[in-house]
Amino acid sequence: MQKTEAQFFDGLTAGRHDVHVALSDDRQAMIITGDTLPEPLRWTLMDLRALSDTGHTDRLTLTRHAETDDEAPRDPARLVLLDPELIAWMHRTRPGLFRADMHKGTWRKIGIYTGGAVAAAGLMLFVILPAMANTLAQIIPIEREIAFGKVVVRQMERVLGSGSGSLRCTDPAGIAALDKMVTRLTETREMQYQISSQVFDHGMVNAFAAPGGQVVVLRGLLEAAESPEEVAGVLAHEIGHVESRDATRHALRTAGSAGLLTMIIGDFSGGAAIALVGEKLMTAAYSREAEAAADLFALDMLQQADVSADGFARFFDELDDLQGIEIPAYLSTHPITADRADQARDFAREQSGTRPILSDAEWRALQNICR
Amino acid sequence: MDTSPGALAQAEITAQEQRGTRLSTLFTGRRWPIFKLTFVTGVLTVLTLGLYRFWQKTRVRRWYWSAIRPGGHPLEYVGDPYEKLLGFLIAVVILAFYIGVVNLLLMFASFSLFQGNVAAYALSFVGVVPIWFYARYRARRYVLARTRWMGLRFGLAPGAWGYALRALWHWFLTLITLGLLWPRMTFKLEKYRTDRTWFGDHRMEQGGSWTMLFWTIKWHLAALGVALVCLPILGAGLVPLAIFGFCLSGLLLVFGAVYYRVETRKRLTGEKRLGSIRLHLKVNPLRVFWILVSGYALSLLVAAIPTGFLLVLFFRLQSAETLTEIGMDEMSQILAGADRWALVGLTVMSYFAVFLLWSALTQAWVTLPITRLYARGLTVEGAQALPAIRQRPRDEHIEAEGFAEALDVGASL
Repeated sequence: MQKTEAQFFDGLTAGRHDVHVALSDDRQAMIITGDTLPEPLRWTLMDLRALSDTGHTDRLTLTRHAETDDEAPRDPARLVLLDPELIAWMHRTRPGLFRADMHKGTWRKIGIYTGGAVAAAGLMLFVILPAMANTLAQIIPIEREIAFGKVVVRQMERVLGSGSGSLRCTDPAGIAALDKMVTRLTETREMQYQISSQVFDHGMVNAFAAPGGQVVVLRGLLEAAESPEEVAGVLAHEIGHVESRDATRHALRTAGSAGLLTMIIGDFSGGAAIALVGEKLMTAAYSREAEAAADLFALDMLQQADVSADGFARFFDELDDLQGIEIPAYLSTHPITADRADQARDFAREQSGTRPILSDAEWRALQNICR
Repeated sequence: MDTSPGALAQAEITAQEQRGTRLSTLFTGRRWPIFKLTFVTGVLTVLTLGLYRFWQKTRVRRWYWSAIRPGGHPLEYVGDPYEKLLGFLIAVVILAFYIGVVNLLLMFASFSLFQGNVAAYALSFVGVVPIWFYARYRARRYVLARTRWMGLRFGLAPGAWGYALRALWHWFLTLITLGLLWPRMTFKLEKYRTDRTWFGDHRMEQGGSWTMLFWTIKWHLAALGVALVCLPILGAGLVPLAIFGFCLSGLLLVFGAVYYRVETRKRLTGEKRLGSIRLHLKVNPLRVFWILVSGYALSLLVAAIPTGFLLVLFFRLQSAETLTEIGMDEMSQILAGADRWALVGLTVMSYFAVFLLWSALTQAWVTLPITRLYARGLTVEGAQALPAIRQRPRDEHIEAEGFAEALDVGASL
């Protein structure tokens, strides 16, 4: 290495020192000399580090690995090499030039705070938010819940119908049949909510419960069902959700956990998608409990109303066939349908004295409610 | 003649030394390296479920800082990814309770008082605004504390809550005067920040008064004027002419926003002082406007390729028939053999590819050219006073930009 010109910034003032650098006699260090430096500096080659990710190759900014209180353990002084040969020589002979050094204890600190963050987030997601949601769901006045439920149903209507007017099916005979079904299911027990049920003109095989006692069945489900008892089972299941205020609880909890998850995942490219999947997994964990509870509620309700649970079982069988892609159990919001079918079938075997829930004519009217 | 950036830089330094005290700024970054850097770090970020974003931010900043060279000497970004990660974790611990509980309570309140969830979102937005300003100031403080030039640290004195309160007040004034006092807000907030900015042991000062910014809203007023003229035209039934007028007004409004940003920055920079050192900024708003329009147009064009691919895959997932119907039989047959899960995987991958490509393209076609334009327009006068400036102590700032990161304030660069 020849004696070469370079620039030196001492990290104390904004003045620039024009210096010369040369290799020491023992070839272990770089000697920096300059008229404006009080005395020559000796930088050991072993300790040399260079700035990385720079937007240029015409210069190499060197610093020294040293125990300082800087962000990285580095000397605040900088030596700027401009001579291409010297820069090439540095790249060639110093493999550790771009090493990222860390202060001692960085990993320990990161470990502690990761633990803290995970604990805080876990506590929020799995203990505090669900508990708050449960408590608050109980004290919302019922008329408010009903008002909110209506908003939710309207939103669902817009989403399903892609904004094209009302989806509500209005055939009077069909509505009468549906109401008869609901009355038969609910008349024998104490209900917290007045159930208001309706059918939407949409091909999806599904039904949902909104806050405040609104139950919506989609046309696809009526068409896929072979008997009114299947529909009754599903209705009983949704009424189970209504009675335990699942939808309200869910909305409250989601408001908290969605905000938290987006914060943790952050705003990098496409991060919203990952946050969404995270929220889905969380929801799945909760819903599986809620679904199982609603199933039990439905069986109990069918039993009291003297309706056979066989239809309910058959509905799960059909659902199983419909699901083209095998959804892993932990991703699905519903417990594995085969298990649920078996549960309902076992229950149906114990039942006695059941009677049909609708007459054939009423069942046809219900199926044609959207015509 | 050797025209590599390095040789040019050397020639520029020599020339400036001969001229004496007026330092102009060089910019040496090129598009392809920043495109690669953004894209590769973006891929790593996705693969690590977002964890690598602290490294991405650090590396991109290091690159930009090193490309900006006032007086031929590059800026240096010394921020550390580990401290960003740590700062973020600290913010999560603090904010987890706040965000979760506040969001849930607001939802509850809007359940009980109003009829829907829209009110809750509006309320939670209002609740976050003060923290948003607070986080912005903190993020700026962190970035300045980690920026060095000629070996000396920059710094921003503490004052984030003061900033948040002033920002709220000025926004209030701006809103009740229908935007007429917007230039006043721009000036006052910039003065608050500049007067707390340090380079080494010297404090910066913002001179001038807010009235010098007033006429920078002239293009907004012009847009308003054109729109007002178009109303009677529309009333008179000349619909095509009126539509043309409204389009013109919209275009003027967009240009006005760009003009405002560039022009206020120029005027504010011209009145900044660091001891006897003064700054001067020369940027043409039309060029900024052109970079924005052409850069985004090019990026859109290129990003449309993976987006199209994504759409095809999506349709394919929906149903094979759809493709056949819209006349893409070939595509349909190619994909027919593929396993359904492979399709899902491909869809997910092209979804991320769209985002990654978009961020890398806009970095190369928008952010870089605009940064270059600003950097090259900046001159430092009175540089003979530089050697008298001494180092300032380190600002530890342990939570880094954690709050800004957690709240998506977008401190970006």
